[in-house]
Amino acid sequence: MILKLALRNIIGNGWRSLINVAVIAIVLIGLIWGEGMWYSWLTLAKNQQREWEYGGGILRAKSYDPFDAFTWENGYAPVPAEAQSYVRGGRIVPILYSPGMIYPQGRMMNALVKGIPENQKVLSFPSTALNAADSSYVPAIIGREMAKTSRLQEGEVFTLRLKDSTGAFNSLDLQVSKVMDCPVPSLDIGTVWIDLAALRKVKLLPDAATVLVLKDASLTAIKAPLFRYIDPREFFADLNQMVKTKVSGQSLPFGMLILLAMLAVFDTQALAIFKRRKEIGMLSALGMTKGQIIRLFTSEGALYMVAASVCAVVLGFPLYWYFAVKGFALPQGYQSFGVAGFNEPLKFHYPLLVILGTLIFLFLLTVFVSWLPARKIARLRPTEALRGK
Amino acid sequence: MKKAIIAILAFCAFSLVSAAPSAESILSAIDKNMTSQTTKSTTRMVIHAKRSSRTVESVNYSQGSDRFFTEYLAPPRDKGTKMLKAGDNLWIYDPGTDRTIQISGNMLKQSVMGSDLSYEDFMEEDKLSQDYSAGVDGEITYDGRACWILTLMAKKPGLAYAKRKIYVDKSRYVVLYELLYAKSGKLLKSLKFSNVTKTGNRWYPRYILFKDELKDGKGTEYFVDSIQFDIPIPAATFTKARLKK
Repeated sequence: MILKLALRNIIGNGWRSLINVAVIAIVLIGLIWGEGMWYSWLTLAKNQQREWEYGGGILRAKSYDPFDAFTWENGYAPVPAEAQSYVRGGRIVPILYSPGMIYPQGRMMNALVKGIPENQKVLSFPSTALNAADSSYVPAIIGREMAKTSRLQEGEVFTLRLKDSTGAFNSLDLQVSKVMDCPVPSLDIGTVWIDLAALRKVKLLPDAATVLVLKDASLTAIKAPLFRYIDPREFFADLNQMVKTKVSGQSLPFGMLILLAMLAVFDTQALAIFKRRKEIGMLSALGMTKGQIIRLFTSEGALYMVAASVCAVVLGFPLYWYFAVKGFALPQGYQSFGVAGFNEPLKFHYPLLVILGTLIFLFLLTVFVSWLPARKIARLRPTEALRGK
Repeated sequence: MKKAIIAILAFCAFSLVSAAPSAESILSAIDKNMTSQTTKSTTRMVIHAKRSSRTVESVNYSQGSDRFFTEYLAPPRDKGTKMLKAGDNLWIYDPGTDRTIQISGNMLKQSVMGSDLSYEDFMEEDKLSQDYSAGVDGEITYDGRACWILTLMAKKPGLAYAKRKIYVDKSRYVVLYELLYAKSGKLLKSLKFSNVTKTGNRWYPRYILFKDELKDGKGTEYFVDSIQFDIPIPAATFTKARLKK
């Protein structure tokens, strides 16, 4: 009965109710869109990193620390005996890193050289372009960003200078066999890819690797005392942290919007209690308890939220659908940010649980905000209320 | 008669070859000339960039082949920057930030003050006679001086350059031209030495042109304005504490 009465009241409120519902609905549409964007980007970035870099897991040489340049020169270890058969079977991909210096068009540039087997099939990396059969030079793959900074083009020849494992300078003449569109910038920026065998030969490291990329997680059980398993939580920690920071940064404007919406509800409720004193007195005289009247007013506020949720889903649907199908293309410059997931239009997915959680939270907040002014009713005397005092 | 002439010519040729000292003794003579217990020098390094050139002045101290201390005096931007090499370690002190940074690993590949010299070049401990086996390839007149051409091959792994080619002044035992090669045989760097003057009882080049042969440009000029050999230098000069003083 209270709900029915509350519904009749908010319909009777006309434009005032409509504005309240519209404000809350706009906030909700914004929130759902924002949550969809961050969730989709995180999912896309993780998928791309899995396909291009992480595979089913990574074993990293203990002597290599990606955040400590001092370790890069000697950041490798021999591929463990137990892993050899998996390497031959193509289920483990050894990759060797080496810092080096490249000389494109007579300029000098630092680069991280990575050696990957040209016949690997675990990663989406286009390693077949490293096949040296038709070339007198060692084929090299670089990413689009690296091509931009080094001004290298497909077919161009340049010299790589590096130190072998004994500390002596060695060099290789490389030819860019492919400029790849790589969605994971860490595999692109400042990196030159060559065939693992060529890099091992020039480094005098016949059986070394910096990382072992596993086809599936079951291979983490192999004995590799000089390697450390990097679990997904550790591997994606930076990405997760960044999204968390970005979401926190965005929570301020969304918080302001929610505050405005709640202020609208609070104002409407406070005004209603002031203007509808006679009605409150009447309801009281007809036998409603103060608790029931408070519940009536609180329900009216909560119904705004319910109506706004329905509107947000229905009216926001074309927007959600557009971004889910057409996607959200980020400007080109974003690719140089060094984060995966920026190279293709972001097609939105909407995390149902997160969205439901947000709706429930906002519903409870609206109930609370509606209840705050309604508490005054408890202090009203029915006789005074009937007289409108 | 014919046989006699051939025999005389062969004898002359043999005499000429045997007159040349062995490659090892040439290297020892170079080491004797170029190395000392201690040195103190003031130098200017002229770095040629694409559009402009700049000069970096410094005072340098060295002890043996593994201790080296440099303080930059000019330009004002670099004044007060100090560099210390002690054994396998290299530190740079930046007065702007009042911080000492250890240069190691990949950072050693960076160029020193934008020159054609890398920090790795500073890390080299040269004693040619110890590190390289050599052979005399021939003779040449270079820069108006009669020189031997020597090819040096690394005796042990771990030396930065697996192969060197040097032109050595026959009478002064000073290297006038040097080519540094990678293991692959690729020419990496060249050094031209000139303005060789007598300092005490040794000949020493006062001008060196360093050129990274893989890079375009005019190279880096190095002028030795003054140099003193075997003078007492306090041991504290080669300590990290000296960097911040």
